[in-house]
Amino acid sequence: MPVLLLITLLVFVLLHAAPGDPASMLLGQENTAADLEQARRRWGLDQPILVQYFKFAAAAATGDLGKSFRFSRPVKEVIAERLPATIELAFFSILIALALAIPLGVWAGARPNSWIDNLGTSFGLFGISMPNFWLGIMLILVCAGSFHILPSGGRSTYGVAGAAQTGFYFLDSLLDRNWPALKDALLHVLLPALALGANMIGILMRVTRSSVLDADTEEYVVTARAKGLGDRAVLWRHVFANALIPIVTVAGLELGTLLSGSIIVETVFAWPGIGSLLITGVTSRDYPLVTGVVIMYTVVFVVINLIIDALYAVIDPRIRY
Amino acid sequence: MSPRKLIVVAALAALAATDAKPMSANAQTRVSIGVTETMETYNPYGDSVSLLYGIWCQVMGCLGTYDFNKAEYVGMLAEKWEVKDPNNWIFHLRKDIRWHDGSPFTADDVVHSFNRVRNDPQSKQGQNIAPIASASAVDKYTVRFTTKQPTAPLPEYIFDRLIITNRAVYEKYGADTADRKYPIGAGPYKFKELVPGQRFVITKNLDYPGMKQLKQAPDEIVYRVMREDEQRVTALLNGEIQIAQFIPPHLQKRVESDPNTKATSVDSVEIMFLAMQPKPPFDKKEVRQAVCHAIDRDRIINTLLQGLATRLDGPIGPGQYAYDPNLKPRYDYNPEKSKKLLAQAGYPNGVDVELETPVGRYTLDKQINEVIAQMLNAAGFRAKLLTPEWATLWSNVQAGKVPFYYMGRGSVVDPSVALSQYFETGGSPRIGYSNPKFDKLLATERQTFDPAKRKKVLSEAMGLLTDDAPACFMWRHKMIYGMAKNIDYKPTPSGRMFGEDMRVLK
Repeated sequence: MPVLLLITLLVFVLLHAAPGDPASMLLGQENTAADLEQARRRWGLDQPILVQYFKFAAAAATGDLGKSFRFSRPVKEVIAERLPATIELAFFSILIALALAIPLGVWAGARPNSWIDNLGTSFGLFGISMPNFWLGIMLILVCAGSFHILPSGGRSTYGVAGAAQTGFYFLDSLLDRNWPALKDALLHVLLPALALGANMIGILMRVTRSSVLDADTEEYVVTARAKGLGDRAVLWRHVFANALIPIVTVAGLELGTLLSGSIIVETVFAWPGIGSLLITGVTSRDYPLVTGVVIMYTVVFVVINLIIDALYAVIDPRIRY
Repeated sequence: MSPRKLIVVAALAALAATDAKPMSANAQTRVSIGVTETMETYNPYGDSVSLLYGIWCQVMGCLGTYDFNKAEYVGMLAEKWEVKDPNNWIFHLRKDIRWHDGSPFTADDVVHSFNRVRNDPQSKQGQNIAPIASASAVDKYTVRFTTKQPTAPLPEYIFDRLIITNRAVYEKYGADTADRKYPIGAGPYKFKELVPGQRFVITKNLDYPGMKQLKQAPDEIVYRVMREDEQRVTALLNGEIQIAQFIPPHLQKRVESDPNTKATSVDSVEIMFLAMQPKPPFDKKEVRQAVCHAIDRDRIINTLLQGLATRLDGPIGPGQYAYDPNLKPRYDYNPEKSKKLLAQAGYPNGVDVELETPVGRYTLDKQINEVIAQMLNAAGFRAKLLTPEWATLWSNVQAGKVPFYYMGRGSVVDPSVALSQYFETGGSPRIGYSNPKFDKLLATERQTFDPAKRKKVLSEAMGLLTDDAPACFMWRHKMIYGMAKNIDYKPTPSGRMFGEDMRVLK
């Protein structure tokens, strides 16, 4: 709670301190001084900033985040509409990252300096070094532009998906047993998820590799080998299990980076999620919307951290809360 | 093969076998358009971006629009209009128009729409009805607009901007429900779907007079939000969209070199200019004129802009209302003259100026202004270029805090409104220019309802403005549209995109 209060106050003050004015951004270039004045009054921007903040905080305490200037709709509703898109994108990014990074990392760690290690390390370095907007544009150019095998952006082909139920296109199409829509949703999410997850793949792969390397020299591993356990059993049951704590910590931290990365990736791929919503909010100085999105990000960060802490206890039986 | 592998292979095969063909079988022809502006609200009055005026105008309806081919205003829901006296405009509505639910379209709907623009707390379109004091229904098919002052350019304010919505639906359901659940219009296209931030889908209304005959007009139009240039072009080449708005010059070749796509360009109605607030050193006319002589516009157009702009000699160009090809004076590129003018103004050793430009808002804005700054330096100025973020710059310009800036003013069909906004005393603080002689000409022009006479007065006002130079008028960019080869469409200078003007060829 104190974190939330502090964050909202900070965002509120910073946003208002930034030059720019919502009325002049939203009314179109033909506006007159009287129009601007009227809009400012309507949005309560003519009041002192402290009054504005307390009004906002009082409403927020009851769960009301106000109305977006740009959308003319409740902020909560707008966020709820866009959130599934971002969660879906983040989910597939993590899925791809885990599926690629962990096997590669474990393999590379188990066989240091082998060709697989070199390949994995180069791959990891590539993932970490590439800015995701550049990687995104390259993926669009190659996969959509040159080979025409994947769509260039958006969440779905118009007319393919059925009525939205959950807002998660992947889930919706599964529930409807609408296979063309499922394929369409997967094809659309592939490139943005890869662009967004590349960084995570790189970092996770390297962390996994070094954790496995570290654990590999531990005495219990030597003992396990001495007992005559097979390579695979030692690797997965002893080495990997003990390397998991740093991996989970880093993966949790990376989730935060993933959320901020989605702001750029969503814009590049015209992905209608929270990231592109935030850009719309910031560029039009939509104070309630930006504050609402930041509150949502804060809550998500806190929840992720809680989950990570809970996971430690599962991974390592010595940790008790 | 292990069972696990078998399952994976089978799943992949099943996925590959399904084909992502659109399910709606009704649409015979569909044109998807990649657009740069976003659509966010169901309320037709809730936004003021050019794209949405065009879409709502097709779906809900609007009184008329400007026909660039005929160079005159033409009616849409209005059949004709007349000026009863300088403050009273009478619009005669078409009697053959019905709302999409079958009910008749009447004058009450127009009055209701006017009131909604004025009173809807979400309305961002008040500026479009600013000169109008009241609206009333004379009879079922006649509307009277009473203006606060004589306003000859009234069509510029309301045509394809005052969106007409259904009064009965509004009264039955209230604003929110009416907008979200019952978007019943009277236009040539019907509302099908709006997914905020993603797409707006409209379908052909065959009951609209004349639409049945337009067999090649698309049955369905999907406006898809694609802000990134690269993505719009790639989507066009990939066949995901058939029209891509606003292709930047450096991507034009890619569109032209593909066997399935083409590029078309049109002069935008947006006029680009360098504004100078009449504060030192720009309080001296010679300094302002020195700026205009210092810039080699032709060179910028031919090199940086690759010919994709048309030079302006005066505030407006061909195709815009009251354009006068013989307007004087003209500013040739003459840095020596600039130096002389600066010396005359009392700056024989040059003068410091700070030029501000947006970045990425207009075609190559930053690069252009880097060149302009160098040209100014070669003509006796000491120019410093500032590149603030758009929201900052725009708010400061509107507050009158920026002395020297590069800017565009869009939607200039009839120049009266834009000239008043930027250059009339009290029009806005953006330049803060004041010239009683110019004010008088504008006031006269607004009271002159005879088009020939009005154009003459406007021309005189624009000549005066060009000579006094509170701004150097630069050029109009050409807007490039990428299109699939089977689409026959001539983009309009205003950027409005009407389905009636599109043809889908076999």
